[in-house]
Amino acid sequence: MSYVKLLRVAAKVGRVTRKYPAEGSLVTEYFRGTIEIDPAMCWGCGACALACPPNSLTTKVEGDRIVIEYFIGRCIFCGRCADVCPKEAITITKNFEHASKSLEDLKYRVIHRVSRCSRCGGPVGAEEEVRNVSERAYPVKASLDLCPSCRAELLAEALAKYHPRRSR
Amino acid sequence: MSVSSGTTREAVIEELSRLGAIIEGIERDTLFVTVKRDVLRDVAKSLYNLGAYFRTCVGSDEIQIRGYLALYHIFSFDELGLNVVLRVDIPKLHPSVPSIVTEVPAADWCELEARDMVGIEFTYRPVKRLVLPEDWPEGIYPLRKDFSYDSRPPPKQLPRPETNKEVGLPLGPYHPALHEPEYFEIYGKGETVEDIVYRGFHVHRGIEKLAESRRVTYEDIFYLAERICGICGFVHSCCYALALEKAAGIEVPERAMYVRSVLLEIERIHSHLLWLGVVAHILGYDAGFMHTWRIREKAMVVAEILSGSRKTYGVNTVGGIRFDLDRDRIAKTLNYLKVIKEEFTEFLKILLSVPQIKSRASGTGVLPRSDARALSVVGPVARASGLYRDVRKDYPYLAYSEVSFRVPLYTEGDNLARILVRVDEVFESIEIVRQLLDKIPEGPVRAESREIPPLKKAVAAIEAPRGEDVHFIITGVGRPYRWRVRAPTYQNIPALRAMLRGTPLADAPLTIASIDPCFSCTDRVVVYDRVSGRCVRLKLTDLAGG
Ligand code: SF4
Ligand code: SF4
Repeated sequence: MSYVKLLRVAAKVGRVTRKYPAEGSLVTEYFRGTIEIDPAMCWGCGACALACPPNSLTTKVEGDRIVIEYFIGRCIFCGRCADVCPKEAITITKNFEHASKSLEDLKYRVIHRVSRCSRCGGPVGAEEEVRNVSERAYPVKASLDLCPSCRAELLAEALAKYHPRRSR
Repeated sequence: MSVSSGTTREAVIEELSRLGAIIEGIERDTLFVTVKRDVLRDVAKSLYNLGAYFRTCVGSDEIQIRGYLALYHIFSFDELGLNVVLRVDIPKLHPSVPSIVTEVPAADWCELEARDMVGIEFTYRPVKRLVLPEDWPEGIYPLRKDFSYDSRPPPKQLPRPETNKEVGLPLGPYHPALHEPEYFEIYGKGETVEDIVYRGFHVHRGIEKLAESRRVTYEDIFYLAERICGICGFVHSCCYALALEKAAGIEVPERAMYVRSVLLEIERIHSHLLWLGVVAHILGYDAGFMHTWRIREKAMVVAEILSGSRKTYGVNTVGGIRFDLDRDRIAKTLNYLKVIKEEFTEFLKILLSVPQIKSRASGTGVLPRSDARALSVVGPVARASGLYRDVRKDYPYLAYSEVSFRVPLYTEGDNLARILVRVDEVFESIEIVRQLLDKIPEGPVRAESREIPPLKKAVAAIEAPRGEDVHFIITGVGRPYRWRVRAPTYQNIPALRAMLRGTPLADAPLTIASIDPCFSCTDRVVVYDRVSGRCVRLKLTDLAGG
């Protein structure tokens, strides 16, 4: 009958569950939850979206705006975005309570104005990023108002000038 | 130990050469060998006779790079710590290869999988679909490179089955709330199980295909791999890391290896306690279930303290880990482990004295040692049938060669033995973590150089809570060219037939659970009474209730 000793164990440990949500959750201070993007810090570079494994963070160009969208519904709380953000604009919080009736509640957007290519008018990147980079990295300034494809085209033209293809 | 111990590396190489196999590469723990189709069966047979276990086989579409389909059979010699990877090239136009299931029964499933996914045909064996659903169109092979990861071919029209008067109401197996549904048909004669048929792969997620797609990078796959299993995901993330780092020749710093090992053992502790709770529940001892899980909860908290997350730790990265442990986390972990050990010791005495636990588990679901070897079973299932197999000892990886621990071994092969193996392992794991945290060296946690050259191959294995997990990788550009995962349950499910045949029906739930398949999956069985011809579908818990 030694299994009756369980009663003693049960009396000793008492109740271990909590009256959640009234009493708060059991997460520890080490918990890695959803992220927060500080819009004042963010450049709109999109590095976080490239690193995010489940595409919880995405970037898209909408007219004159570049939108960094964080969709919590896909987030796996890995924190990789915070690892790669060059501006340390991302903080990892302990939050995980996001139940909602509306999908829109789970979306968070940081909006940047898009900087346009001076040659073709296509999007170059977020204005904020372009301005900051050109302030810091002087040598590339010249081509910062160009979109990647125009940049490639101009480079090809310039190379062709210096190394004209030998005619037969 | 394996059947014929005393084999040496040289003897293996000599035998392979004698049979006409070409040794292509000799690495520290792996021989890469090419064989012609006509000698494959002889080579497989002689490896098996030399004492090798069969790990898995891998079909791979290498038409773009070499003009062939390829089949890799992975054997391993536990006592030599040596993998033998046999590659057979298969021409695209006549993609057929002799099967080795007569020689090596454990090759059954992976051959069928290679047939489904890569389109390799097998001779000398009956074939049927295993992984692909019945309505998948003929001649389309998802793991061929010309099949895009996001395409969805229109389903094949299937003839409507004739309906009998008596219709079983199929409530399973696509249970929406449970991960990894499995489905068993148990054929009974009165109260005795005559045969069992397993149908699985209902939720095949195409993870291997996704990993080859443009959608992911090497770095993303850690997170993908971690989600292969809902219980021991970190095993997969680590096993992928080991395979990748071995293939690429990346030197992982020691401290990172220690941290990975610590987390792997924490995962084993929580997994075994989870399982033990489920066993108590199946045997109708719900108080035991609650208390086991109460103790287990502390292991979950430890995981959160060490990694930031209870389950998907997310700490691995190419060449090491993403964040270091500090003293505070280590101290808290040690405290919790002390409590887990005390509480579990106390509770175990009570649990094992419950009459129905001992009486229902002893002598039931016996897996004899010979069957265990023929089916190449792994993990606690193998160790409970007297096979000394533990990847941590046989092919030491990460920091396991730095710690001392015992591999629990029982010879009875019954459900009780499988319980006791896991119980003992909980204590061993606690000691392993203690030793690791005591010895953990200072230093960097991520390798400086992390280049991954393409088309390098490697096999890695990890002792998961359920047994040996094997990953095989061929590196590509930016992501793997081919990544193959063989989870332990894949190897153990076929053994259920040997365990269940001729045993009372009422023992079936416990026996099925005793291999520790991710349990919620095995929720439903069909019971077919051969005498009355009646077919009933039941929940396992109904069966357990008698
Ligand atoms: S935490 Fe991970 S999943 Fe979530 S947004 Fe950041 S990178 Fe993406
Ligand atoms: S990486 Fe940082 S700066 Fe760049 S878009 Fe993301 S949050 Fe903004």
